[in-house]
Amino acid sequence: MEKRLLLIIIAVIIIIAITATLLLLYIPGPGVPTPTPTVKLRVIGPWAGKEAEYFMKVLNAYKEVNPSVEFEYIIMRAEDLASVLPLNFEAKTTPADVIITPWGWFIAEMAKKGHVIELTNYINKDDYVAGILDPVTVDGKIYAGPFTMWLKPGFWYRKSFFKAHGLSEPKTWDEFKALLDNIKAISGVKNPIVVGDSVGWPVDDVVEHFIITFAGPRAYLDLIEGKVRFTDPQIKSVFENYLVPLIKNRYFSEPIEWTTAIELWWKGEYGLYFMGTWIAGMVPDAGDIAFFPLPGCKGVVGGTDYVFVPKYTPNKDVALEFVKWLITEGQVVHASTPAGKIPTWVKAEPGKLWAPMQDVYKKVKDLGLSILPDLDDTVGGDWQRLWWDQMKLLWANPDKLDEILNVLTTQHPRIKGG
Amino acid sequence: MRLNKQIRLIFFLLFPFTLLTIFVVYPIVATVYYSLYDKNTGSLNLNNYIDVISSINPIYMLVSRSFTPTPPWGALIHNLAWVLIHVPLTILLGLILAFILKYYVKGSALIRTIIFLGMVVPPVVGGLIIRFMFDGVVGIIPAIFSFMGIEALSKTWTNYPSTALYALILGSLWIWLGFSITVFSAALENIPRSHIDAARVFGASMRHIFLKVIVPQLRPAIVIVTVMTALWDMKIFDVVYASTGGGPGGSTSVLALVMYSYFARALDYYKSAAVAVILALIVAPFIVIVMRWLKD
Repeated sequence: MEKRLLLIIIAVIIIIAITATLLLLYIPGPGVPTPTPTVKLRVIGPWAGKEAEYFMKVLNAYKEVNPSVEFEYIIMRAEDLASVLPLNFEAKTTPADVIITPWGWFIAEMAKKGHVIELTNYINKDDYVAGILDPVTVDGKIYAGPFTMWLKPGFWYRKSFFKAHGLSEPKTWDEFKALLDNIKAISGVKNPIVVGDSVGWPVDDVVEHFIITFAGPRAYLDLIEGKVRFTDPQIKSVFENYLVPLIKNRYFSEPIEWTTAIELWWKGEYGLYFMGTWIAGMVPDAGDIAFFPLPGCKGVVGGTDYVFVPKYTPNKDVALEFVKWLITEGQVVHASTPAGKIPTWVKAEPGKLWAPMQDVYKKVKDLGLSILPDLDDTVGGDWQRLWWDQMKLLWANPDKLDEILNVLTTQHPRIKGG
Repeated sequence: MRLNKQIRLIFFLLFPFTLLTIFVVYPIVATVYYSLYDKNTGSLNLNNYIDVISSINPIYMLVSRSFTPTPPWGALIHNLAWVLIHVPLTILLGLILAFILKYYVKGSALIRTIIFLGMVVPPVVGGLIIRFMFDGVVGIIPAIFSFMGIEALSKTWTNYPSTALYALILGSLWIWLGFSITVFSAALENIPRSHIDAARVFGASMRHIFLKVIVPQLRPAIVIVTVMTALWDMKIFDVVYASTGGGPGGSTSVLALVMYSYFARALDYYKSAAVAVILALIVAPFIVIVMRWLKD
């Protein structure tokens, strides 16, 4: 009996010892960090090539502060997203956890249908450039955060080209025309200004700048709102008196694929190129370029890429945490690269901007240019494509001006809808 | 025994019929239903059809209200222009090239392979290639016209309403010619050599042999190439999307692109469905011709 009791005691001790050993092995002791499982976030963004490289630096910076997150970056243009996402969302799925697109109107449309997570509690409106959140705000709720901002400040030129030919920045419209004539007279120059081509936006950027300069920022904003029509005399005169004569007299090139246009402009086949600030990161020597707006211009178009989280992401918390960082500290990292962007987060230190962008930013401030929203990105929808298309038509056939302005007016969603 | 046969028949047909119902019948019925669905009232009517047919927006216009010598004429008319220009050129060039390659060129298989490459290239890539072919800076076509001193055509064709549509149609000739030559070459193999030799003995010229001996015997192949090319032209999308996106000023817009624009840009699935039904109704006669021909 005693022998049996002894065996039971030994057996219990052995079981306790084995259990304790196993627990010690699997439960970490005090001070040993719990290994966090790795989460892979799929991020869709519009950048390719060098622009994608600069964005990868941002993702890598986040991985340094949060090693448990891995990224898969997928390139998708805004127009492709617009055809893919609605179907995914209707099926209650998403191709990515975090999506970045410059089309605020599209995010607002998706938010109205309940496909986007609200970010109102994650964003302090006062920490961002005024008005930047308006396109992604629906019924007072914010559905996306702004990333870094580009500016479309004016005509870019090579300092070395201007120096070699004794050219200088114009101060008046007459000086601007004289500059174009001087550039035209230079041997080897095809046209004074090269115009980029893509789905249509490079052409429309030029037009927006002319409208802001000669009709003024107020009229430009009213045009977006549909309070002023394209057929109104103040807008029509911008086309008739300034743009169309330049197009007809071949001061502009015909639209050339916009990245090819950079190369040709850099080679000296053209003197000026109207483009956004990202051009600074795409040329061999950013120190050799400078810009000037049209004389008398009081505004500059600025736009941003918006970051949003679809409702159907399986990694909601991690994605939201990443977005929170991306639209604050992430902007600082991005703006420090040669991406040619500036932060929309006002708490970002200007000193951390990439040096050439500091010069751009300073010049924009010195000239007193107010930042205005992009016309077509704000109106959005299918009117945006119509606008691009009609502007390309204007370049091909400036005699059709009346017809073009009429179409743009009658199809404007805010005029159409009364 | 008879019952067993019927059960087996049902068993074998069940799977394909289920798949057909899910992936073919349902989408067709749903598309027709959506095309009739009025999102404003929730009722079924023809409003979507009326809206898409009467649209004067250059991106969505099916038929222009006013006729001008150069495009835009509306997507539907552009599709017809594709058929009217592309089909005859494809037939004519395909016939001539297949004939020459068979009877006059040694090692023609290599040349046929090269021509057929256009068919192998994805249409979207084909669209981009066309864009570059007609580009004023790097394109071969404007360069040829520049060399010939014709300044009016030594520009980027796709930038101008007067030339953009023709650039796409002529560029597509390269893409589709491979198909036509392959069909005609195969059909030529079935014509006995003795027919041509007999015509020669009777003193027929090469032109007469081609027109009176070869072409009549290729009639079935001509029908199939005509119908297939016309079908391709009516539903053309990728080439236009990748090269011009329907512009400038809607001068290269086509029905399939209008359908896509309603779907992906306006996010109006009901009007998109209406255009899809219109497109299907226009294409249907071509399909009937093919089905009848195959039956015969």
